[in-house]
Amino acid sequence: MNRPQISRPEVTETESLSDGEVHEWPKPTLFARLRREPLLPEAGAGGAPLTAVIAVISFLAVLAMASVLVINQSASKWTSELRSEITVQIKGADAAEIAAGASAALRVLEGTDGVIEATLQDEAETAALLEPWLGRGNVQAFLNIPALIEVKVTPGLRRDLDLLRNRLAAASPGATLDDHAVWHNRLATAARSGQALAFAVFLLVMAAACAISIFAARAGLAANHDIVSVLHLVGATDDFIAAEVQRRFFVLGFRGAAAGLAAALIALALAAAAFRTGIGADAFLPQFSVGGWLILWLFAVPIVTCLVTALTARLTVLKTLRQQY
Amino acid sequence: MTANGLIIDFENAGLAYGDAPETLSDVTLQLREGEFRFLTGPSGAGKTSLLKMMYLAHRPTRGRFSLFGEDATNAPREALPALRRRIGVVFQEFRLLDHLTAFENVALPMKVAGINQNQYREDVSELLNWVGLGHRMGAKPPTLSGGEQQRVALARALVSKPDLILADEPTGNVDPAMSERIMKLFVELNKLGAAVIVATHNLRLVQTLGKPVLRISDGRVSRAPGAGGAS
Repeated sequence: MNRPQISRPEVTETESLSDGEVHEWPKPTLFARLRREPLLPEAGAGGAPLTAVIAVISFLAVLAMASVLVINQSASKWTSELRSEITVQIKGADAAEIAAGASAALRVLEGTDGVIEATLQDEAETAALLEPWLGRGNVQAFLNIPALIEVKVTPGLRRDLDLLRNRLAAASPGATLDDHAVWHNRLATAARSGQALAFAVFLLVMAAACAISIFAARAGLAANHDIVSVLHLVGATDDFIAAEVQRRFFVLGFRGAAAGLAAALIALALAAAAFRTGIGADAFLPQFSVGGWLILWLFAVPIVTCLVTALTARLTVLKTLRQQY
Repeated sequence: MTANGLIIDFENAGLAYGDAPETLSDVTLQLREGEFRFLTGPSGAGKTSLLKMMYLAHRPTRGRFSLFGEDATNAPREALPALRRRIGVVFQEFRLLDHLTAFENVALPMKVAGINQNQYREDVSELLNWVGLGHRMGAKPPTLSGGEQQRVALARALVSKPDLILADEPTGNVDPAMSERIMKLFVELNKLGAAVIVATHNLRLVQTLGKPVLRISDGRVSRAPGAGGAS
């Protein structure tokens, strides 16, 4: 609608209702602009309780995302180690046959392109591998423990091990080659499952953030019904009111998300320290640290939480205003 | 401002709240640019309901209503804010926002119109000084007297220099001398170009100013003897 321009004298050219002196409203400082009173009061948008809930949601979201990243980090490390190594095992009827087979296998390996390093484990190392099952000092000489050769290979050789497998079998009938494929596949599957589960938890937490925002935005509108009505009557659009609510929720969400992030980082740092020095030091558990790219990804989580909270509130307000006002 | 000069044009309009009988029936009235009307009638007759239709808080449940030449009966929701910004309303119960200062309350119509504070700061200050509240700009409504709140509400209604001023009992909380000054103000604003409708019980002021009167009774609007514009 085009409004014709009219030239109307100032209202204050008419007789004043004042008998007193003239005052002036001070120019707003930058701080005053940032601290300006919101048109919808804080209490009506949930205030402190909403901040606390967002803090908890952000804490859980950061932990869920950290789980995704740590599992990914550990799985990559494990699988890359497994993929660059193979193991040759030589069995035999007695120690002499095993030693002869090991020597023959080492010769084959040394003459094969793509073998970076081949190391024959001594008997003590091999026996140590059996101690978890047999107990310390219980590995007897008559057991004829197979010899193990740890072999580091290039990716090219790793892709096709059939020729090496055949050459080893020809040189040493008791030799078998283990490419760790079973372990690799199991680890990859476990890692993918763990990541999917952690990501599902992250999505659920974000869904909870949406639900809380919807509830709080509706409650805020209901509590501020009179104010919303006045805003409409002085010419505010639905978008203007929604933007006010969105700004309010962003500020509340930011406060909560920052608190949640701080708490989650402390929890992760404690967990990482515990894994390095205590419960995880000797166990078959992933080592991780809170730093580098992990930190950057984790800082993105509260920002996403903030945006999800604010945008959900905005959309809720727009829908509610259309339905009820 | 409009092609036919009509600011308000009701034709057989009715207003009912929910399933209740009509609060207003068969309203047919017109207000042209630069016209001034008093709206009188007993309590509960429908004065506030009629004003609510005029400032688009409610739309007629039957009949036709045009505002500034636009069909307000069927106008899409998105078109209403632009129409409302051309209207200055002094509400009977003031409807100030308690958590904002007097300055911020008066500045509200400018703010929702997207105007920067640097552009309206002086205007709002001037207006608050003009209604005698320059020294209370930073005060919040709960700390103001009824009369002071009424003057803040008046300043808010006038700050955007509206084409139509609607006032619902604007002198209800002020002393007789201030009542007279406020009524004279409306007359002056009318002379400056704004169309004005003032709902009031104060028949003494109505008689003193001698402006046309619309009388409302049992939800029906009629033209008082000697007044024009309603049928």
